Amino acid sequence: MSSVWLPCGDYHQDYAEDQGWWQTTFLKSKMILLLLITFVGIPLLLPEYWVSVATMVGYTAMGALGVQLLIGYTGLITLGHSAFIAVGAYTSTMLVLQFPWPQGIVDAGLAYPISIVAAGIVAGLWSVLFGLPSAKVKGFYLILTTMAAQFITVDFILTQYVSQIGGRGQAFSLPPGTIKIGPWVIENDVQVYYVMAVMLTLMVIVLANLLRSKPGRAWVAIRDNDIAAEALGINIVWYKLLSFFVAGFTAGMAGAFWVCNTAALSPEHFTWGWSLWLVGVILIGGVGSIHGAIFGSIFMVVIMELLQMVVIPMGDYYPELLMGFTYIKDMAFGLAICGFLIYEPNGLAYRWWQAKNYFNLWPFSY
Amino acid sequence: MELFFMTLTTGIMVGGIYALVALGWVLIYKCSGVLNLAMGELTLIGAYVTWSFYSWGVPFVLSVILTLGVGIVLGFLTERIFLDKLIGEPILAVIMVTVGLSFFLKGLIGFIWGTDTSVYTPPVFELKPITIGILKISPVYLWSFILSIVLLVVFVLFFKYTRWGLSMQATADDETAALSLGVSARFVYAAAWAIAFMSAGVGGALLGNINGINISVGYLGLLVLPAVVLGGLNSVPGAIVGGIAIGLLQNFSGTYLDQFFPGGVKEIVPFVFMAVFLLFKPYGLWGWERIERV
Repeated sequence: MSSVWLPCGDYHQDYAEDQGWWQTTFLKSKMILLLLITFVGIPLLLPEYWVSVATMVGYTAMGALGVQLLIGYTGLITLGHSAFIAVGAYTSTMLVLQFPWPQGIVDAGLAYPISIVAAGIVAGLWSVLFGLPSAKVKGFYLILTTMAAQFITVDFILTQYVSQIGGRGQAFSLPPGTIKIGPWVIENDVQVYYVMAVMLTLMVIVLANLLRSKPGRAWVAIRDNDIAAEALGINIVWYKLLSFFVAGFTAGMAGAFWVCNTAALSPEHFTWGWSLWLVGVILIGGVGSIHGAIFGSIFMVVIMELLQMVVIPMGDYYPELLMGFTYIKDMAFGLAICGFLIYEPNGLAYRWWQAKNYFNLWPFSY
Repeated sequence: MELFFMTLTTGIMVGGIYALVALGWVLIYKCSGVLNLAMGELTLIGAYVTWSFYSWGVPFVLSVILTLGVGIVLGFLTERIFLDKLIGEPILAVIMVTVGLSFFLKGLIGFIWGTDTSVYTPPVFELKPITIGILKISPVYLWSFILSIVLLVVFVLFFKYTRWGLSMQATADDETAALSLGVSARFVYAAAWAIAFMSAGVGGALLGNINGINISVGYLGLLVLPAVVLGGLNSVPGAIVGGIAIGLLQNFSGTYLDQFFPGGVKEIVPFVFMAVFLLFKPYGLWGWERIERV
């Protein structure tokens, strides 16, 4: 049954229909419009600068999705997510630069795609390693473990050891033309944007489907009450670790994407501040919804861009504003988190839901 | 052997400073149940405010006392503006507000005082170390150690015998019950933050005398976490013991492990230790174990 809207009552005739994703023509056309905007509108119509801003939004969203899965769906609070992004980024770079690929694979442009998957797996396993304590502790103690993951991984292992491989010192840089997907060499902003758009779309589809299947329901049960979930026969250790693995996998893919965006890599891209930033993004966007992570990324990145646009002209009169722009950014971010938590703890996704509800009943609401 | 004893004394003395900051952390948790991730920034503010007073020509002791005053005001303000509305919210919300607070304060500090290292001129403490037997201790460390012990005694007595201390503990244990007994929870929380700002201020003031002040002092706020985990989140003596233990651990690993793992092993060992420790004894040495029911 495909009508413009769902009539009152439940008229599904079989289970497949009941579980359909886009149940009405209206929803279907909405999603197609969204895909059109993502894949055609933004890259082809916007100026290059805003395309790169959109890429940044996508990168933030990819990181935030993993955090959303852990915090919003499984209730495991993590403050060390950028460590796993870093592991992914370094794995991918190492594979592309150092691994002795057979010439055929390099020519076919498969080295980078393979490295993305490998990055996901390595980061996922690394994430599981630091997720192990979640079997025993939760809440604040888990926060501490994930923080430890951040410092051990980024500040110690990556900075002191991995960065020394190849003898270049701190930063890796990828020579132009190294990153090749199939026949396409990823060089300009629009191509990077397409890589991001494809990866993000895939990630959202996979996660959304995962969340409405058995693991997803187990995760939500663990989030709502882990003791009750255990009593219901859910193997909470297994599902918590699975959640860590999937979150780590998305983080690893995000990291591998970051390599193709910057073509350079240094531990400074993955500070603890970035982990906190990702958590802030999902808090602002709304905890416990996939589109919340995306709303949050859009909000934060665009707000920062706008802030920059406001501050730079003012720099002519108050040069100290320009000098201290990073501090202004920090302050704005801190205030945004506090403000959202105090005044709108459900985040932007809740507002979106409210707006949708309003128009669902429009014009005859109660 | 001399190296061993040197490491031992330095460890204990540096640990004294960690203990001071950890004390502030534990106080907030003990009184209001807030897990504060902005402790490093509070310390930084204390350090910078004292330094500013000092560089305006105020004597050191007086500027520390003035910093305490500023700490009280800031503590009350922070509590009223940011945390007052979050009483009873889930743990993530409260923690993330302190994270937001730490971003905000860090930005504010950078904006006001810049990134250059500020040094006390003229130095407050004598630079020449005091020699006891074969040990050399620099006076800053000695003072901070003494101060942390004094504050420990003061706070233990405070929690045990004064009306305020008891009402603070009652609020932390069960907010509703405390409210029904006529404890003003809002005042208790504000007082907790004021005390935390003050103790962080003293810690910061002493710390600034060691290597000068810059934004990296804020890192100390994170080092405090292994210390409080070791001692137990709500134990005042635990904070002191944990602080000193972390100081020792850091210095011993710096001395003996650095040859095997070159680089920043000193900065990382506390966190490795914390991650492993949490696996075995998450409630620390003297923390309250909370029993959960569905």
